[in-house]
Amino acid sequence: MMSIHHILAHLAPATLAQAAAPAAAPAGNPMPEGTIPPDFWMPVGASTIAGSVDQMLAVINWICYFFFALVVVLMAYFAWKYRVRSNSHRFRMDGPVHNTPLELTWTIIPLLLCVVIFFMGFRGYLDFSQPPKNSYDIDVTAVKWAWTFKYPNGAQSDDLYVPAGRPVRLVMRSSDVLHSLFIPAFRVKRDVVPGRYTHLWFQSDAITGADHGYHLFCTEYCGTGHSNMNRRVYVLGETEFNEWLEQQARWIDEIDDEELYFKAGPKIYARCSQCHSIDGSMGTGPSWKGLWEKVSGGAGSDQKFADGKSYRDLIGPGKEYATPEDYIRDSIYNPGRHLVSGYGNVMPTFKGQLSDRATDAVIGMLKRLDEFDSKGQWTKAAAPAAK
Amino acid sequence: MTTIGIRDPHTLAPAAEDNYITHTKGFLSWIVTLDHKRIGVMYMVAVLLSFLLGGIFALLLRTELLTPGRTFVDADTYNQFFTLHGAIMVFLVIIPSIPAALGNFVLPIMLGAKDVAFPRLNLFSFYLWLLGAGCTLLSLAMGGFDTGWTFYTPYSTTTTTGGVIPVIVGVFILGFSSIFTGMNFIVTIHALRPKGMTWFRMPLFLWALYSTAIIQVLATPVLAITLGLLVVERVLNVGIFNPSMGGDPVLYQHFFWFYSHPAVYIMIVPAMGIVSELIAVHAHRHIFGYRFIAFSSIAIAMFSFLVWGHHMFTSGQSALMNTIFSAISFSVAIPSAVKVFNWLATLYKGSISLNTPMLYALSFLVLFTIGGLTGLHLATLSTDVHLHDTYFVVAHFHYVMMGSALIAMIGGLHHWWPKMTGRMYNEKLGMIACTIVFIGFNLTFFTQFMLGSHGMPRRYYDYQPEFQIYHVISTIGSYIMAFGFLMTAGYLIQSLISGAKAPANPWGGRSLEWQCASPPPHDNFKEQPRVGDCYDFSIVRWDESQKGYVVDRSLDPELDEGAPQTAKA
Ligand code: HEC
Ligand SMILES: [Cu+2]
Ligand SMILES: [Cu+2]
Repeated sequence: MMSIHHILAHLAPATLAQAAAPAAAPAGNPMPEGTIPPDFWMPVGASTIAGSVDQMLAVINWICYFFFALVVVLMAYFAWKYRVRSNSHRFRMDGPVHNTPLELTWTIIPLLLCVVIFFMGFRGYLDFSQPPKNSYDIDVTAVKWAWTFKYPNGAQSDDLYVPAGRPVRLVMRSSDVLHSLFIPAFRVKRDVVPGRYTHLWFQSDAITGADHGYHLFCTEYCGTGHSNMNRRVYVLGETEFNEWLEQQARWIDEIDDEELYFKAGPKIYARCSQCHSIDGSMGTGPSWKGLWEKVSGGAGSDQKFADGKSYRDLIGPGKEYATPEDYIRDSIYNPGRHLVSGYGNVMPTFKGQLSDRATDAVIGMLKRLDEFDSKGQWTKAAAPAAK
Repeated sequence: MTTIGIRDPHTLAPAAEDNYITHTKGFLSWIVTLDHKRIGVMYMVAVLLSFLLGGIFALLLRTELLTPGRTFVDADTYNQFFTLHGAIMVFLVIIPSIPAALGNFVLPIMLGAKDVAFPRLNLFSFYLWLLGAGCTLLSLAMGGFDTGWTFYTPYSTTTTTGGVIPVIVGVFILGFSSIFTGMNFIVTIHALRPKGMTWFRMPLFLWALYSTAIIQVLATPVLAITLGLLVVERVLNVGIFNPSMGGDPVLYQHFFWFYSHPAVYIMIVPAMGIVSELIAVHAHRHIFGYRFIAFSSIAIAMFSFLVWGHHMFTSGQSALMNTIFSAISFSVAIPSAVKVFNWLATLYKGSISLNTPMLYALSFLVLFTIGGLTGLHLATLSTDVHLHDTYFVVAHFHYVMMGSALIAMIGGLHHWWPKMTGRMYNEKLGMIACTIVFIGFNLTFFTQFMLGSHGMPRRYYDYQPEFQIYHVISTIGSYIMAFGFLMTAGYLIQSLISGAKAPANPWGGRSLEWQCASPPPHDNFKEQPRVGDCYDFSIVRWDESQKGYVVDRSLDPELDEGAPQTAKA
């Protein structure tokens, strides 16, 4: 059976048209070793199951080509052969009206084919529905509109980094609406559902390094930024992965306090930029421009929330928030508590995702917002720092 | 040259000009009409206008997708575009198009009846449709909605766009319109079949409408309840589907697809019925394997209730569920395949007129074959995981919903156009337009299969630059298709104004609707006509004096009871 698949897979119009369709390959890098090259139908394949999925697809494709050709050729031939032009032509009456054996044949052959396809697809599915026991677990949180990947040592990242050569299991949850995690090169996809954990596993042996990754998409519609929840998947060799992990766990602690706001701030802002602008332009959430003045008693501090209170009513010694910093922090951890009027309760909570130090970085950034351009890049000094 | 026994509708008509259009006059006489033909025509006009609106949204969204990132609107507007396109096309266009518009017009005439069983209910369901459509427009005025036509929770209960409640109420009402039409058709087919028309003598279009009506009546209430719960959750903050209030979002998906998968067959089964008619009539050939086709309609209707879970293979439902749903989904492929082969066999040794309706039927065959075969990729578990929620799915269901259901409906519109309007359209333009639509359609949607299998997710405003070439081809295709449809609208309107008068039977049809005048008189038939085998074309022949065909009943052995089947008013 296997060898038939191989032959079919190679015969596919695939090979003819390889050049036509290099879509969704890892961004412009030479194919890492161990990958299946893209073909007419499928993008590059880089997981242990990609081969069998592609073979399955090739089998179905060939069945489709055959039946499609059969239907179209017969149809065209009959339509041409039996056409009549003049109205007065007498209709021919010699066509058979039914033929039970024939009809049974074309009921049973598709039935058998379907049974075969079903079983092959089912076998392939079983192969990847249960993760192996020794998998490496990564926690995934989806929010509108970003992914957070958390590793066992506490490291976090926005892109997914995985070790090569061992099964990886993603333990996924959503803080707001449905999302779905899709890695075309690995042929895997699983919805991320609020209120429950879902799992996804894969193994990739094709090392990409940390420069060129595979695509990772959100495939369950989730609103404005749905199409911008695309990230990269980097497959690293064991030592490279461990080094990365170490460094990632510590990055924010290694930054000096004075440099925190411009070194860490922009990185964190990348997760807020879908909704909050810096230059005052409208978005899903209020712009950050002028926010610090409002919360610290300056211009606009009498602006009212949806619940009728103003910034001045809420912030100050002895009030709900003793300091402006408290207000900002609470806005990030409990976004719905006081809704800025004119906006819906759509900001996801970042509790458990942004550490105190990370919120300090945001606050520092808010205080000196004029040092940042509209994309959140620090423009003050041409410092080599902010990477 | 009229021989005794030949039914000549023109000489039968009480007054030369009395038909359902001229029977009574004035705006009021239309809006309070109980005549199924007028109601069908009003549905048709309304559905076609909705099609225009949904089509405009399609063109807008295709235009936005010409380039990655912003082309001319922002992401929120784009999200509204695809949502509105989907909702309008599904709920306002495709679901009512064949049963409510064409079915209403044709069904009673095919039965030889004067009207449907409950004419008032029929008019009422049209007004419900209008009300539902009105709610949808109201929703547009209130800020539109960006939930996708599937209204998945918790997005739909938390989004800030203002039009969600009105549109859900609208779809709820449209659902009832559909239920009432279904009930009406079931009763009509049971109660009003004339003497001699046994179940297995019904035209296959009626079998299709009957199967459809069963699905409409059984499945639509589930949608109504689901949407009702959605409104309750959104308005009263009772947690049903939203986990942050203790609800379950996957439950919503089960409910939704329990209706919406059968709804796919509400759209495609009547289309298959039309194609059976188109092929038999324009090939002037007894349909091959009548019983297999009739039973396959019923089989599809039954299976359609058992496969909803195939929309949820990646939702996290258990592997066992996925397996069962995958297996049952394949079973739908078989009755569909049977139909395709039977249609092919009907072409064999036919006397085929290659005209516009036939061309639409052939287009249907090609597009439905592609749509159906690509269903295999999606029913298979291991490949669906990769293809789910990508453009592959978008392409697949457009081949089925648009390439098949809508193309069949437009074929049917051409087929019954002379009957409905009493005018012929320009045959040459018709064939050209059909070809343009066919080419445009394939350009638009075939590229989307490739987009999807290469990993482009659906409902994306922005995309990777490597996908652009496919999007550009797809958009150009959609413009070509739009041109084809505009052309169709053009020559159809022209035919209303200056088209040649249609004979009673321009195509050589055999079923009863071709045996009453074009357009039919108010009562369809003065006397209940007798029925023979509605696919026996041996007694249909050309009559030069009428410039049309006649059904020479004196030649029908089953009908010879001496006297000609004519009525003297
Ligand atoms: C999904 C969109 C979204 C994302 C992502 C988002 N926010 Fe918000 N945010 C909002 C909305 C909407 C509001 C106003 C409603 C409210 O107060 O909850 C808001 C309010 C705020 C406020 C209060 C603003 C004021 O004018 O008082 C702060 C501070 C804030 N967000 C910080 C952040 C930070 C920091 C991030 C990134 C780590 C972030 N937000 C990410 C949507 C978002
Ligand atoms: Cu998304
Ligand atoms: Cu379905």
